[in-house]
Amino acid sequence: MPAPPPPTAVPAGPAAAIEVAKVSKWYGNVVAVNDISFTLGAGITGLLGPNGAGKSTMLHMLSGFLRPSAGSVRVLGQSAWKNPAIYAQVGLVPEREAVYPFLTGWEFVRLSARLQGLPDPDAAARRAIAEVDLASAQDRPTGGYSKGMKQRVKIAAAIVHDPRILVLDEPFNGADPRQRLHMMAMLRRMAAEGRTIVFSSHILEEVERLAEDVLVIVSGRLAASGDFREIRRLMIDRPHTFNVRSSDNRRLAAVLVGVPAVTGVDLEDTRLSVRSSDFGALTRALAPLAREAGVSLFEVLPADESLESVFSYLVKR
Amino acid sequence: MNMPIAWLTLRQLLGAKRTLLLVAAALLPITLAIVFRLTDPDVEPARFIAQTLLGRLVVGTMLPLAALVVGTAALGSEIEDGTAVYLLSKPLPRRVILLPKLAVCAGLTLAMMLVVTVVAGAIAAGGEEDGAAVILGFAVAVAAGSVVYSALFVLLSVYTTRAFISGLIYVFLWEQVVTRIFTGTRILSVRQYTIAVADGVAHVSSSVFDGNLDTWKAVVMMVVVTIAATYFAIRRLERFEIGETA
Repeated sequence: MPAPPPPTAVPAGPAAAIEVAKVSKWYGNVVAVNDISFTLGAGITGLLGPNGAGKSTMLHMLSGFLRPSAGSVRVLGQSAWKNPAIYAQVGLVPEREAVYPFLTGWEFVRLSARLQGLPDPDAAARRAIAEVDLASAQDRPTGGYSKGMKQRVKIAAAIVHDPRILVLDEPFNGADPRQRLHMMAMLRRMAAEGRTIVFSSHILEEVERLAEDVLVIVSGRLAASGDFREIRRLMIDRPHTFNVRSSDNRRLAAVLVGVPAVTGVDLEDTRLSVRSSDFGALTRALAPLAREAGVSLFEVLPADESLESVFSYLVKR
Repeated sequence: MNMPIAWLTLRQLLGAKRTLLLVAAALLPITLAIVFRLTDPDVEPARFIAQTLLGRLVVGTMLPLAALVVGTAALGSEIEDGTAVYLLSKPLPRRVILLPKLAVCAGLTLAMMLVVTVVAGAIAAGGEEDGAAVILGFAVAVAAGSVVYSALFVLLSVYTTRAFISGLIYVFLWEQVVTRIFTGTRILSVRQYTIAVADGVAHVSSSVFDGNLDTWKAVVMMVVVTIAATYFAIRRLERFEIGETA
């Protein structure tokens, strides 16, 4: 039987689906999360940080499974802690691989639909299983699933009730490249429908490809939040590097050396690398200077605006 | 009662190796009863059934062990392996999660122990009138004891990851050693409550067997312990915090 189409609209709610205000969490003398505040609305946010930085602690607090030692976590305007009612609007994909090994994929997802009190659990389970492309394996016990299949069945169980908020802890663990692309497309579609999706990952490339915004947690503190390209541009204490291709790299390099915002140039064969302490000043000056020097610009690419560059900078700082 | 949770718990427990071992262990009292009949010893059957077969072996050992195995597996194992999150991340009051689990634990323990009590007792009694009264008394007592032990061990399983060891210490150290040495502590023994109920229902001569506690006092304690254990288990589940490894 074909799966019914997923709903395309999400009921309106508060602009900030998740509000974290001055949240800290400590275990005895160990501070896991230290005075973190942020708000998340519709869209996909990636939670990044080195191992032990406090990512999981933060996600557990967002999903109501850890009580903040200080501050508050509010989900759709309600406290997340000791409030099971929020789970009608929140889907959770835990990091741990374990699912009930004696249940088939179908039984597991349908159980989730029944516990959510959905009027037609069978239809909801069918739709969720189709979303994660697991219909062919739905009648097998989950104990025999591969790691990637377990991830997908966990996601199916988490989205069976069409939650407004989806919290995923390392959701792509064990998924093969095709499954990963499929799940990324699904999450993008859910975000485009107005849902709030927050996920953690230790694979920067995944976060870079999927997340519109990032939250970078380092040593329990929020090191940065927002669009990682914007974050990079705000790092004025670290030179920006551009790779430039032009009709005459040598002449352009000679001109650029005289610009105060330029801190260095490297000329290698066909490539000109320019370092600048002021992203805005250089990008504004580059085209007029090239025109004055009679040089045609073919390509100007920021060399270190990758998430990896931002992340390594924030972690080492 | 939330039927999906009850169904899940039953499948969980029936598939567990420990439960299968329990079923195998249940053959022990039945075997002992057969040996008793075949050897035709001098001891009065009703006395043997009350004091040894059902009093010591079933109520003293098998009932708490069965409740411990089942009670700690129903929720404790889910907390340990992380699958509890799939139940706890649903918009359900925690009592709606805990009560069906407790009911299935108590029901399964009761079913196993009731069969053992009646079958082993009937074989050993061989139709003797006092024996039948003792079996009836123990059947009622085992049913009540199953509920109390289950509530206690489910509570333990939501409070500690070492619920099984803690339960063994309670059964074999507290109930079998401490309450014998310090008789005042019997008021804190589920085993003593169970024996007292059996005594109250059986109405047999004290030469056959005699509970150490007053029956009504035992019944009140059973109700108090069950309600308190259930209340604190629900309360604990409401404040459940996931571990860093979960």
